Amino acid sequence: MVRKIKAGNFTSKIIGRRMWIQAAFLVVWLGPFGLRLHTICSPVFHCYACPLASFACPIGVLATFCALHVFPFIAVGLLLAVGAFFGTLICGWACPFGFLQDLTAKVPTPKFDLPKFTGYFRYVVLIGAVLAIPYFFGEEHPLFVCRVCPAGALEAATPAMISQSIAGEEVIWPNTLKLTILILFLVAIFFIKRPWCRVLCPLGAIFSVFNRVSAFFLRFNADKCTHCERCHKLCEYGIEPEKTPNDLNCIRCLECTNCSPDALNLGSIFKRAKDQRENSGGK
Amino acid sequence: MINNNTKILIFGVLVLLGAALLAYGALFHSNNVLPQQGEDSTAVAKSEPALIKEVTVGGVTRAESGKIKQTYTGKAPAACAT
Repeated sequence: MVRKIKAGNFTSKIIGRRMWIQAAFLVVWLGPFGLRLHTICSPVFHCYACPLASFACPIGVLATFCALHVFPFIAVGLLLAVGAFFGTLICGWACPFGFLQDLTAKVPTPKFDLPKFTGYFRYVVLIGAVLAIPYFFGEEHPLFVCRVCPAGALEAATPAMISQSIAGEEVIWPNTLKLTILILFLVAIFFIKRPWCRVLCPLGAIFSVFNRVSAFFLRFNADKCTHCERCHKLCEYGIEPEKTPNDLNCIRCLECTNCSPDALNLGSIFKRAKDQRENSGGK
Repeated sequence: MINNNTKILIFGVLVLLGAALLAYGALFHSNNVLPQQGEDSTAVAKSEPALIKEVTVGGVTRAESGKIKQTYTGKAPAACAT
């Protein structure tokens, strides 16, 4: 266990409260007041068929608009604007599906790491199941993203099956592939940290490409780095933050900013010129 | 390595582009949607937010003719069937 040393800055203060911030966002996505604003996309991965979903899932909208051969101006515009501001900070701090995986990761089971190249599967899912398959084969194809999505199976199909069962109606099960992926996902989240986000999430794939240019980013100050490699141990996703602070696989949990020399910080392009000069040694 | 001024420029372009697409989609973009029965019927223009709402309940599909067609008549389904 790596000892976390708090530097006392704003980032350090909020890292300890990340789960509470994720829970607060969950309240927004689950629509406690019965709001179903499905004309609007949210920037997170949350199935719109969930009985409590407040907003539309951007991935579901992208895929279905591809199947309709209509350009999704609202979904693409939203993802561009949010990605430009936050990059994968959304994954680490706001996504309800990521929050679920973070909660199950708290269960004390042996955890296994994944090879770094598995992160590229997310782009295969994005290009294949979200864009190409819907466009060329339509939404009836068995690999259409919503037909295999574990978020849909967990957040929409499961509550529907429970309500059908309680009402004494015939229970409609999801297709075999979707059910298999759900079971694999439910097993994997206890043994791998954020398996969906790291290997398959198409929304994470979109936000990750903004990491290097987003308004909020991970700033590495080479002058302060003592090469202690504490950040390697703090990172639960196998990234070496001092080499690639804005790595495609980073979900911006910001745990690495707890390194004692304070060489890693949440940076912003809005920082004033004076601060920029002070950090001129930073990358 | 991308310096801060380049980042600000890229950020500005992305945000402006995103806002322009959002505004166009929300305010001006619409598509014709055919009713479930009969492809010769009069199509109804639906704005993009309305089309997103239809998508969330599995209310539209692409007909063989390439036109967008509603999957139900009367009351909309409660949720997407996929």
